[in-house]
Amino acid sequence: MKKFIQQYGALIALIVLIIFNTIWQGHDFYAAENIRNILAQNSAKGMIAIGMTLVIIAGGIDLSVGSMVGLLSVLILLGLNKWNSMPAAYGIAIFGGILIGFFNGLLVSLGRIAPFVATLAGLGAFRSLAMAITNAGQVTTTNPNFENIANGGFPLPGLHTVSGDPLVIYWPILVFFGLGAIAAFILNRSVFGRRLIATGANEQASEYSGIKTNSVKLASYSLLGLMTGIAALCLTARYNSASSATQGLYYELDAIAAVVIGGTSLSGGRGRIGTTVIGVLILGLVDNMLTTKGIDSNWQGCVKGVIILLAVLLQRNSSRK
Amino acid sequence: MKTKSLLKYGLVAMAALMMVACDNSSGGTNSDASSSSASSSNTNTATKKFKIGVSIPAADHGWTAGVKYWADEEAKKHPEIDFDIQTADSPDKQISQLEAMATKKIDALVILATESAPVTPAAKKLKDQGIFIVNVDRGFTDASIADIFLAGDNKKFGTMSAEFMADKLKGKGNILVLEGIPCTVNTDRVDAAKAVFAKYPGIKILASQSGMWNQQKAYDVMQTMLTANKQVDAIWAQDDDMALGAERALKQAGRDKGVWMLGGAGMKDIVKRVKDNDPMFPADVTYPPSMIADGIKAAVETLESKSKDELKNFKHEDREIKIDLVTPANASDFYFENSVY
Repeated sequence: MKKFIQQYGALIALIVLIIFNTIWQGHDFYAAENIRNILAQNSAKGMIAIGMTLVIIAGGIDLSVGSMVGLLSVLILLGLNKWNSMPAAYGIAIFGGILIGFFNGLLVSLGRIAPFVATLAGLGAFRSLAMAITNAGQVTTTNPNFENIANGGFPLPGLHTVSGDPLVIYWPILVFFGLGAIAAFILNRSVFGRRLIATGANEQASEYSGIKTNSVKLASYSLLGLMTGIAALCLTARYNSASSATQGLYYELDAIAAVVIGGTSLSGGRGRIGTTVIGVLILGLVDNMLTTKGIDSNWQGCVKGVIILLAVLLQRNSSRK
Repeated sequence: MKTKSLLKYGLVAMAALMMVACDNSSGGTNSDASSSSASSSNTNTATKKFKIGVSIPAADHGWTAGVKYWADEEAKKHPEIDFDIQTADSPDKQISQLEAMATKKIDALVILATESAPVTPAAKKLKDQGIFIVNVDRGFTDASIADIFLAGDNKKFGTMSAEFMADKLKGKGNILVLEGIPCTVNTDRVDAAKAVFAKYPGIKILASQSGMWNQQKAYDVMQTMLTANKQVDAIWAQDDDMALGAERALKQAGRDKGVWMLGGAGMKDIVKRVKDNDPMFPADVTYPPSMIADGIKAAVETLESKSKDELKNFKHEDREIKIDLVTPANASDFYFENSVY
């Protein structure tokens, strides 16, 4: 039984939450539009959490992703406004993300700086850059196509919103699950995935057995950078604007929380993508439940904290000393 | 190791690049009012008559960005004064900036507090040094510390906007409330508004949640509030940035018909829509970020007109910042095309 809870703790928690909300909120909760909105609100965070899982499994951590979102969001909109071309926005998101991730990876691997410290520097620096570029203001765009990235999608037959329009599943939601599937495949079915786990479990031993651990780390940070870039693109399109001070604020903590709730160990060497996705959904559900029920927002952090602790306690591996 | 030194040089090169970038960065959204126009200590202070420190909250949303803009604008108008304009993102930081200003021998301080209570003791220290203090918008917990207090009346802001809403609803309807960043400003506004609404049994506050005075956060929160509340007549959004986020959520849900809202602060775009009789925005309540310019003006005028002794014995003055209701009839008076906010 104990083993079962360890294995499926996150999933059980999600199911309990869903049942609880269905009883507590009734139709408000399981209305198709509400479920769709929960997914839309959390898909950008989710993409980052997926990348974060890979980095943490490889023994690293990245505290700079929230500020990275802020910086990239601002750059995406400035680029879009300057060249008035959608490919420019895509390019800045994808290559900018990979580049910053690669830079973090360099500091950690060749620079031999502890991941926590190296990315702590980024946490401050990237946010400050975003604010310096925009004079701490907001950037908006008048490009009519841009918001379709987040508000376009395909309608689900038979489902409607409260106002009677057909219910649209937005692109970022699909991208979130798509990236999850790809990351799970990489982790469980590829040579790179095995190297990732080995590097996180025991770096020295992996190095002796011929794994280039520096390259593995570089790749994991670059992947997280790529996912952060895509997340920034989706988020910016969702708001059709970017506030340099608050876009992506605390996302690194939400992403790490989702990873931890999913049962991935912060010491590296083991973890799963699927449970991280469940962790994201749990946090999103809690947010939604507290907001719709009109719980004072000052209490919301408290509830989140309790959930994180419960998740960790439930999944604690008793065999480890 | 070669790679290590390579990395080091790379970092140094990056740092150098950043310095260059900082010099060239011009505002992405705002006009070229970037980089504090205040001349810092490297100018020849011998030609300057006075030194005035200006301490304001960091521009983390539209209104505070407006404060920074007006502070810079006003500073430009007084070339004879050496300004030190500092922005702080927390009471902590503001306190340490005030302490630093005390060592720079400023003659006067113009301060818009991040939070009233924690910065009061730091301001008192400056006062005890004989520095002339102009307090704007958020009053110290000990009123006697300020020589001049320009009061922004947040309670009146809440009362005025809630009364307008209750009248327009004819005392009956379902409303949603958006709150700001948790601090005294928000508490004063929300409590005053709720006290008004409490007098009307026909008005129901369906939900009240924080949008942090931020367009994006307000959009997220409003989206969730809307699915839980099917019948909404009006939204008391408190702030024009939040109003824009809330409007986006309404449009996204296809429910922007028959709902109207009240923001606040007098953002240029919103005032324009009031002027154009937009049904979404029948009115707006002003809370002008230009109040910081009035504060700076008051400090300059006092320093230039009073002797040292007169300054020492200056009697505490309260001046009120007017809060107005903007309606289609008077909106032209509140529309400033060139403002950043």
